[in-house]
Amino acid sequence: MAFQFEPAVVIETIPMLMRGLKLTFQITLGGLFFGFLLGSAAGLMKLSRHFLVRMLAGAYIESIRGTPMLVQAMFLYYGVPMAVGIRISPITAGIIIIAVNSGAYTAEIVRGAVQSINRGQMEAGRSIGLTHSQTMLYIIWPQALKRMIPPLGNQFIISLKDTSLLMVIGVGELMRTGQEITAVNFRAFEVYMAVALVYLVMTLSISNAMKFYEKRLSSSKG
Amino acid sequence: MIQIKNLHKSFGALEVIKGVDLDVRAGEVVCIIGPSGSGKSTVLRCINRLEVPTSGQIIVDGHDIMAKETDINMIRTEAGMVFQQFNLFPHMTVLANVTLGPLKVRSMPKADADRLGRDLLQKVGLADKAASYPDQLSGGQKQRVAIARALALQPKVILFDEPTSALDPELVGEVLEVMKRLAQEGMTMVVVTHEMGFAREVADRVLFIDQGRIQEQGPPVEFFTNPKNERLKEFLGMVIQHV
Repeated sequence: MAFQFEPAVVIETIPMLMRGLKLTFQITLGGLFFGFLLGSAAGLMKLSRHFLVRMLAGAYIESIRGTPMLVQAMFLYYGVPMAVGIRISPITAGIIIIAVNSGAYTAEIVRGAVQSINRGQMEAGRSIGLTHSQTMLYIIWPQALKRMIPPLGNQFIISLKDTSLLMVIGVGELMRTGQEITAVNFRAFEVYMAVALVYLVMTLSISNAMKFYEKRLSSSKG
Repeated sequence: MIQIKNLHKSFGALEVIKGVDLDVRAGEVVCIIGPSGSGKSTVLRCINRLEVPTSGQIIVDGHDIMAKETDINMIRTEAGMVFQQFNLFPHMTVLANVTLGPLKVRSMPKADADRLGRDLLQKVGLADKAASYPDQLSGGQKQRVAIARALALQPKVILFDEPTSALDPELVGEVLEVMKRLAQEGMTMVVVTHEMGFAREVADRVLFIDQGRIQEQGPPVEFFTNPKNERLKEFLGMVIQHV
């Protein structure tokens, strides 16, 4: 039987994917939110004066970046509950994985952005009597945050795509939904094409939003 | 106001300050001149502990800056600083740059801080720039904002670290003018500078630092017309040639 491409199936599949898309978005946004907090903490810890604090952050960053996310997901969802006896839902596990994973990359973004702020800014803050933390909060952080936004947008795209790996722990996100549909209609070509299109539309929207933001940033003052 | 005793400062193996003693009286304007790399900025930056002295003693307004019980942030509000590169906060308006210290360090109510900020901007001739951002200002205007920012904490002394060295020549005058007015009002000032004209006209005392030591000091007329130190003669010879 020769293969016949049926564009109609692609079109029909897209609305069926929306349920999974919603979950993909929730996990991505939840994961990025906690990942940003985690990454900010780890990034600032990497700049600490204390060796132990730096090392702790370094260990986190290196161990996450040095292992596949798929392994991390299986370990957290199947492995950890066996050791501690607490089961977590696939969605919670998914958010944790994305958070811990994006956090490790965000840490480097945060560290780089904070380090890129001219040393004179810290000195000027200290010279008017602000403490180190106050200078960080009112002067360094707001400027660093602005520089973080483009790389964070990039991380957003990466994390969004990474959620597809969560299908292995049974999270009914976009990819998993696609797989379930093919199990019924056997139209793998059309269905995965539809899945790919949905991802592409989302990632293109994010990167265009970023381009718009950067353009506005480069033309604005202050 | 400031007493420095036998100050030494090394960066790694490099000894930059090799024993400096200096007393600055209240109301005095001291200008420090010297070749680049002579350590003159380092002395200034030790006074508010932006650089930590390797050894020696620095007393600012009765407080030993190295003592454990001294709150260095409090000292820094007493000894304001103006930097060569201005170091304004680019994400804040001019007014916010000036009022940040009073608001966060002095916990001054916002209305009072704003009033103080506007008065100070008026004083440096930039009342109309309160809502602008630093990027929208010329170098001279930036440095005048930086002076207003330092003044906002009502310090007892202001340290100027080559305040006009990063400015286009035509913008130097407006900054020196503001500094001259401050001196006339009795502000205690320590100024690291290459502006010999300013030192001659405004300083009560001029210091020549070279190779980590004060080589010569005295009232400006004596200092400039009858220098004794060979290095100072050479230095003045080179500087004057270029003016």
